[in-house]
Amino acid sequence: MHESARIYIKSAVMCCPEPELLASFNMPCLNVDNNLIPAAIRRRTSMTTRMAITAATKACQQAGVNTALLPSVFASLGGEIQVTDALCRLLPLAEALLSPTQFHNSVHNTTAGYWGILNQCQAASTAIAAVDDTFAMGLLEAYTQLQLAHGDLLLVCYDELWPQYLAPPIGQAACACALVLSTDRQQALGSISVPRIKPIASPLDEHWSALVDAVPAVAALPLLCAINTQQPAVIPLNPKGNIWFTEFESC
Amino acid sequence: MEKSNCLKPIAISAYSAVSACGLGNATLLAALLSNTSHLAPLTLFELAFPTQVGEIKLPLPGIASALEIYDSRNSQVALAALNNPEDGIRQAVEQAKKRYGHERIGVVIGTSTSGLYETESAYGVFLETHKMPDDFHFVTKHAYQATARFLQQELGLAGPCYAISTACSSSAKAIATGQRLIAGGVCDAVLVGGADTLCRLTLRGFKSLDLIAEQACRPMDRERNGINIGEAAALLVLEKITPENAHLPRVLSVGESSDAHHMSTPHPEGFGAALAMENALTLAGIKATDVDYLNLHATATRINDQVENTAVYSVLGDQVPCSGTKGITGHTLGAAGALETIIALLALKQQFIPGTAGLRQLEADCRCHVIADPKLNQKLKIAMSNSFGFGGNNACVIVARGEGHA
Repeated sequence: MHESARIYIKSAVMCCPEPELLASFNMPCLNVDNNLIPAAIRRRTSMTTRMAITAATKACQQAGVNTALLPSVFASLGGEIQVTDALCRLLPLAEALLSPTQFHNSVHNTTAGYWGILNQCQAASTAIAAVDDTFAMGLLEAYTQLQLAHGDLLLVCYDELWPQYLAPPIGQAACACALVLSTDRQQALGSISVPRIKPIASPLDEHWSALVDAVPAVAALPLLCAINTQQPAVIPLNPKGNIWFTEFESC
Repeated sequence: MEKSNCLKPIAISAYSAVSACGLGNATLLAALLSNTSHLAPLTLFELAFPTQVGEIKLPLPGIASALEIYDSRNSQVALAALNNPEDGIRQAVEQAKKRYGHERIGVVIGTSTSGLYETESAYGVFLETHKMPDDFHFVTKHAYQATARFLQQELGLAGPCYAISTACSSSAKAIATGQRLIAGGVCDAVLVGGADTLCRLTLRGFKSLDLIAEQACRPMDRERNGINIGEAAALLVLEKITPENAHLPRVLSVGESSDAHHMSTPHPEGFGAALAMENALTLAGIKATDVDYLNLHATATRINDQVENTAVYSVLGDQVPCSGTKGITGHTLGAAGALETIIALLALKQQFIPGTAGLRQLEADCRCHVIADPKLNQKLKIAMSNSFGFGGNNACVIVARGEGHA
């Protein structure tokens, strides 16, 4: 593998129930579309899963990929945090009975599981978390998976509204971002280099950094803005600590 | 770009497990050789129903004061595995740091509930006072990557660092990610593994699914009736293979798949499980007949063991010796993939096939070659370990002895 090897972006979609959040970035975004999810699954899933599935479904439609064969990486800081919170509120009551559905819906790979069921997809699916670096590590995981196998891959980065007594300001608003990545450059919107840590050349956009603290999936925004404007750029993937970058080029 | 279906093997320069069996590989090996259950009633907290658990009863090491915001049972158990001098995880990481530099070493840890045990106690305070206690630090104690980040800080590393959380396949998949990070040239070494500790949510959650056994579990037995939860940390240091480390055991591959069937029940024909094993064989570039031992997932629920039997028979036939070891350690959930990979490594090292503690009478329609009692003086080169999790998330790890072993 050479550092010059590039991965191609076939589609990129933001889903955010509060679109005014992203207005100043000039970024189009969708609302959660419950009609994309059959009633049997809709009834059982949380808002975070429905939001992530909305973004993923639209990204796959735009890319024209076969979702039944698509490996996937789901990156989220808190995952099913509302389900976990509801269960944690019951646990101090010694006799309280937990709902078996809520229990299996509390795992971090809940969205990944429902995505596989919805699309009848038996390809590998993973669920990762890395606090401020969640999008950066999601992109790295996706990149290294594609390096070793030809084809397409779905990356979804998402976090929902969090109870504000857990880790404020994390989770002040919900947002999901989905990208279809590929080793194939045909009809790609652009390409990226391997994510890596680099010293910061110029200060990061403060408005963006502050927003990522409150809405983790917004970490994907600089990459999506570059895709929209088709400007080659060195893109930061996380707002603090060691900063991970990727180099975006238009196709 | 040159591509093939095979992955490059990766050297395992150190590995260590802490479990109900005790601290380090020697205690685990002794339990495996004697096939002794380490399951016992829970002492860590109150529970409203009877069961047995695989609880770690050692005094756990304290977290350094500079890192106290990371202090959780999960990180303490991981630190115990890191610090055990006999197995040398810390030493192997320090050597890798010298050789490659701290920014070239990643940390990828699988977990299902991370520091949830402490969060549960914090919620007890919160419900009474409407305020979380002062020592509650959700991101560094509870969030999924908390233990990975703790290990990264403790070791002074600066490469990629994240958690994989796919329920009971988490730490098998962490090994997959470690192999890819090295094979892709992103890292020269990766500390991988899993850590999961006992907490109320998993015990009461599995109880709500009616999957908890009251007595010690009986994997693959015709009278099996559920699981025992355990806790463990299992760490492995992965590195590029060089002439100097070619004698060390290695990861050949990890096969991954999804069931696409149900969130908590496996596919009835075991398609997803079989696909993970087939993918692992393909990526390793070996045939089913090359496998000398399979550590089963074998949780001892009625359906899981039945489905795994179907899947294993379809891929490996009836000749490959297999056994399930959760009757010894309990089901350590997110740590199980790494713990049982270490069990497979111990089988290769000691040239024995572990038994299946708790198995008295094999399920009548069991067609795979299940071993009840440990078999010594075997010739093993390649071993496999299955892990299947909620969400239909499957992973199968293949490890092999290094070069130069007879």
